Amino acid sequence: MNGKRKTENGILSALEKWFEVHEPKGKWAWLGSTYEAFHTFAFTPNRVTTKGCHVRDAIDLKRAMIIVVFALMPAMLFGMWNIGYQASLHATDWPYPLGSVASWIFCFVFGFIRMLPMLAVSYTVGLTIEFAFAQLRHHQVNEGFLVTGFIIPMIMPVTTPLWQLALATAFAVIIGKEVFGGTGMNFLNPALVARAFLFFAYPTRMSGDSVWVAADFWGTDAFTGATPLGELAAGIQPSTSALDMFLGTIPGSTCESSVIAILLGAILLLVTGIASWRIMLSVVLGGGLMGLFFNLLTTLNLPLLSTLNPQLSTYLQLPFYYHYLMGGFMFGAVFMATDPVTAAQTNTGKWIYGLLIGLFAVLLRVVNPAYPEGMMLSILLMNCFAPLIDHCVVARNIKKRKKRAIVKSKAAVQ
Amino acid sequence: MSGTITIRKGLDLPIGGAAEKRLTDARNIASYAVKPTDFVGLTPRLLVEEGDIVTIGDALFCDKNDERIRFTSPVNGCVKAIHRGEKRKLLEVVVEEKANNLPSPNKIDTSSIKEAMLQCGLWTKLRQRPFGTVANPDDMPKAIFVSAFSSVPLAPDYDFAMQGREAYLKKGLEALSQLTKGKVHVSFRPGQKLATQLSSLHFPLSTFTFKGPHPAGNVGTQIAKIDPINKGDIVWTMNVQDVAVLGELVATGVYNPEKVIAVAGPNIKNAHYYRVKTGACLSEIIKAQLLNDSFPKMDTSDNHHESRIISGDILCGTQITSDGFLGAYDDLVSILPEGNYYDFMGWMMPGLRKHSFSRTFLSGFMPKSTFKPLGIDLPRFEHFWRFDTNTHGDERPLVFTGNFERVFPFDIYPTQLIKACLVGDIELMENLGIYEVEPEDFALCEYIDTSKTDIQQIIRDALERLRKEDVG
Repeated sequence: MNGKRKTENGILSALEKWFEVHEPKGKWAWLGSTYEAFHTFAFTPNRVTTKGCHVRDAIDLKRAMIIVVFALMPAMLFGMWNIGYQASLHATDWPYPLGSVASWIFCFVFGFIRMLPMLAVSYTVGLTIEFAFAQLRHHQVNEGFLVTGFIIPMIMPVTTPLWQLALATAFAVIIGKEVFGGTGMNFLNPALVARAFLFFAYPTRMSGDSVWVAADFWGTDAFTGATPLGELAAGIQPSTSALDMFLGTIPGSTCESSVIAILLGAILLLVTGIASWRIMLSVVLGGGLMGLFFNLLTTLNLPLLSTLNPQLSTYLQLPFYYHYLMGGFMFGAVFMATDPVTAAQTNTGKWIYGLLIGLFAVLLRVVNPAYPEGMMLSILLMNCFAPLIDHCVVARNIKKRKKRAIVKSKAAVQ
Repeated sequence: MSGTITIRKGLDLPIGGAAEKRLTDARNIASYAVKPTDFVGLTPRLLVEEGDIVTIGDALFCDKNDERIRFTSPVNGCVKAIHRGEKRKLLEVVVEEKANNLPSPNKIDTSSIKEAMLQCGLWTKLRQRPFGTVANPDDMPKAIFVSAFSSVPLAPDYDFAMQGREAYLKKGLEALSQLTKGKVHVSFRPGQKLATQLSSLHFPLSTFTFKGPHPAGNVGTQIAKIDPINKGDIVWTMNVQDVAVLGELVATGVYNPEKVIAVAGPNIKNAHYYRVKTGACLSEIIKAQLLNDSFPKMDTSDNHHESRIISGDILCGTQITSDGFLGAYDDLVSILPEGNYYDFMGWMMPGLRKHSFSRTFLSGFMPKSTFKPLGIDLPRFEHFWRFDTNTHGDERPLVFTGNFERVFPFDIYPTQLIKACLVGDIELMENLGIYEVEPEDFALCEYIDTSKTDIQQIIRDALERLRKEDVG
């Protein structure tokens, strides 16, 4: 290794030294990936460029991923508070009166205590599998799960039993990602795979009216509190106001209810350039267009529609922007659809991909009452189609190049 | 043909330490070297032995596949050393300059420009695209491209470097126009002095003005915008300083492989221009730059370098030792601090001094050099950003998308082309435009890459594979 520039700071240089001395060798050499993961966590490595560009951009995958985690923070913190708040609304024996400072803190602590085990389970299970696979393959441990592990608890109902969460995380990491070769090779968003797994394996735990509000600190008991999407699927007008939905003080998955908290995260992602503005914008456009289209149908007042599904008419009349405020639409648009691995990779492709996600999400919500939340399925569906969209976009470029060559050779002949 | 073309995609690195406009004649250069490794895909056949006496323009080695292509000594002297690497691969032929004890070389007959160039070795400065190899004398190129400005980080200013040689440049361009049935395209940046000086040429010259950030000055970008390469096309390119050497050859019959190089870097003592001959040993020049108190002393005895010396620019140059030689196509020597340090929680820290194309560090919110509110020049902190050779992270799979496109001004999908090269799908590579690019065109993609992939190497390997299959 080349001469090292030593850190002046005593503690840091001691830590540097510790890592140097404890590099696994001999019979411990198989622990290389784990050692690397912790070493590069503590210190950005002293690796220097060997070929190509002699200087490199300061960004690496760790930095990119931690920015996403920062962007998720507002939603996470709000979600923690909202868990407690929803419990306080529906509980009869809530210890503090609403509106007092104590209750504000108590709501947050209540939610924090509910979320912490979910986060711990998601990270423990996921990282254990990630480390195991990295060791087996003698690869370095990837940072992708930093984000996935954070998102998985955020999109589950608060009453999800921890063993189900563990099962879903394991399924998502192994089947959703590692079988394809790990981070960067998967074609489905792993966090959504986890949710879809629970949705289809334990449907009663993932939908209905009685899973969204936690009853106590530790258990999986729940109060009944319907989400706006649940109400609409049943043909009832949502009982909460648009403002409540925007703020997020409504029942729902743990951390996806607050549009304002998600928008804060979106701003960070867009300013830093980590997430694609094209995808975010086009998902919102797509959802809005579909919502407007349904509004248009009601004004046309076709008799056919009411014969299809009697509950549909309430949904069709719903102002289009309600779709942004309800359920996981915004969370999906900002954090899930923009996953760079599973989204379309060409810029034109990103527009198409995003528009279709928005369209299908609203279509599924309105027309298929069996799935009150269309966002998850819509994103997973378009994840599958993203490579095809890219293929078509790239094919246009190829065609253009071939045409250019033909025109040139004809001109040469003349 | 002429016009103005604006490049919007690209990136200018805010690196400080560009060469001051001051010229020194480098006199005490003891030795010169010709390096076969500078020439893509070359299999050399050695023609001299250690101790042989050579004059300017004598061949040291030639191309095994085409013996007309001769690589010649830039000075009078004797062959001092022949350095070989693994498997006896020829690395360098070093010539020690010994003046005045040899008859001055005969004037070169320039009735045929091609023959004259081949004879004195100037031909090797003519490169072809695709593949980046030395031009094949039997080919008739579609066009010849010359970029009269450079946009790389710490780029030399050719207006300054070419001072006094404008007449030779004109002659050289005229000579080049005889080598192609097509046009000679010359590209300038807006407001360049050379452009006005070249306006009075007798033969029709195609001139373009390129606005915008790097890689506007790369000849590859200019080809793509002016007349892109199709499969089967061949174009030639030449460095503008070598065109002046050609002009001098045509005008006087003397081969004088001189060039003005910029020596630049963020931490060096007195970055400025030097007049040298091609292949010059850089040790004296570099010593003069590094030996000061604020910069650690160079230790040439082992690999304990604290700074990296690059023949070429910091994005696609070649690393050389402190007693190394100037590359055949280079007219810039960049000196960078090495980055072999650990950075505690570097991925978490605000990062005020780290440069990133993304705005994931606080430094991303510093005003850009193009930012002039109400036309006022803000003070620029060029030394603010810390540029060194640290990779700032480990290699990872390609995860983030959509960024390469922002610094890649070609009508090509960079991510898809890189992936096609990785899997070696030749048809797909061709379809996606591999013939239009050289590794240097991907330098910025490699710079901003989150996953620290060596993209230029991937492109070079793919091109070499295509070239070999083409030949075989």
